[in-house]
Amino acid sequence: MCDTCGCGENDGLKIHGPLSNHKHSDSEAHDHDHIHEHEHEHEHEHPHSHTHPHTHSPEGNSDDEHDHEHEHYQKKTLNLNLDILSRNNLTAEMNRRFFEGRKVLCLNLVSSPGSGKTTILEKTIKYLKATRKLYVIEGDQQTLLDADRIDKAGAPAVQINTGSGCHLDANMIDKATRKLDPDTNSVLFIENVGNLVCPAMFDLGEFKRVVVISVTEGDDKPLKYPYMFQSSQLCIINKSDLLPYVDFSIEETIKHARLINHELEFIEVSAKTDEGMESWFQWITQQEESFATKKGYEKS
Amino acid sequence: MHEFSLASEVMSIALNEAEKHNAIWVSEITIEVGSLSGVEADAFESALSLLAEGSIVEKSGIKILRINGMGFCDGCNAEFEMTQRMEFCPECNSFPSVIKGGNEFRLTSLVIEEQ
Repeated sequence: MCDTCGCGENDGLKIHGPLSNHKHSDSEAHDHDHIHEHEHEHEHEHPHSHTHPHTHSPEGNSDDEHDHEHEHYQKKTLNLNLDILSRNNLTAEMNRRFFEGRKVLCLNLVSSPGSGKTTILEKTIKYLKATRKLYVIEGDQQTLLDADRIDKAGAPAVQINTGSGCHLDANMIDKATRKLDPDTNSVLFIENVGNLVCPAMFDLGEFKRVVVISVTEGDDKPLKYPYMFQSSQLCIINKSDLLPYVDFSIEETIKHARLINHELEFIEVSAKTDEGMESWFQWITQQEESFATKKGYEKS
Repeated sequence: MHEFSLASEVMSIALNEAEKHNAIWVSEITIEVGSLSGVEADAFESALSLLAEGSIVEKSGIKILRINGMGFCDGCNAEFEMTQRMEFCPECNSFPSVIKGGNEFRLTSLVIEEQ
């Protein structure tokens, strides 16, 4: 149930915001764009009650495993051969074309919970907001806490609460982007749900995927979660200020990650002390340039 | 966990196809799951059975065709089975290998019953 007005919704999925106006005219406090995914739920009880005499040959039904009273129905095999993710991929491709047309550089940040994605974004907004228009789509199972932090840092943020969901999908990004309505020549960060498994499979339409790992995690993480490291283009190693206190080897991490994705780039940062953040900002600038010329647009 | 949303995607494709063909029941769903696809076949199957309850897919048999990972070596043209995404060529030890099979996650066919 939606706690604003009590409307029902599927899976507890909610999209909130943008929290503040930030020059946006639509400051509605009660905006109702939850994704009601009930497109296919209608179960019409097809009232096709033609009573034509049944002359079908019975052999097609002889192996009918479930003996309902409808054994006179005809069986038909539909050979679909359909990629199950095709609908997500199609929507992601539409998002990608929208971002391209609107000239919005979209970066999808993925990581396990607690790697520091939100802190990195807060710092990024503080440093880059003077020179660029920045937007954030926040994905979490519950709460507006992250969108609140981003909003305070100074960028319009839309919070997607996935309820029981463990990842963001392209359809959620489509809906959230409509609410955010980003200006042209801007940067849109998507902070995915903290999870190194599921978000890997879902293309959102981003230009680049950035995986964040922190030095308090194990340096074997790339080997344990290869899909995520394989589908990302940049790996940020965060909390470098804690390196003296933990058994984490940057070299080992890079070695492991390169086994899976030999083109992966690495940037070592501490979002707390700002060490290395300059390299991250430079990387964003490079992406803006290659996005503008569409170099490296092919998603891997 | 993403197996649940993948299963609901399959449900919606199946219901959609059933509606298009005025089907009364969906009696069989066949799905290919590659061992390198990132989908846990058992979890997916449970999720799909759960979601199918109470729908026209409810009594459907779910057939999961598991596909082994196959690798190809650019260096020596060897083909070999892959059990994980990064494997050295067993013949010449070069790396990385090209994944030729095992990424599949496809709804191959539906059997529907129509009037």
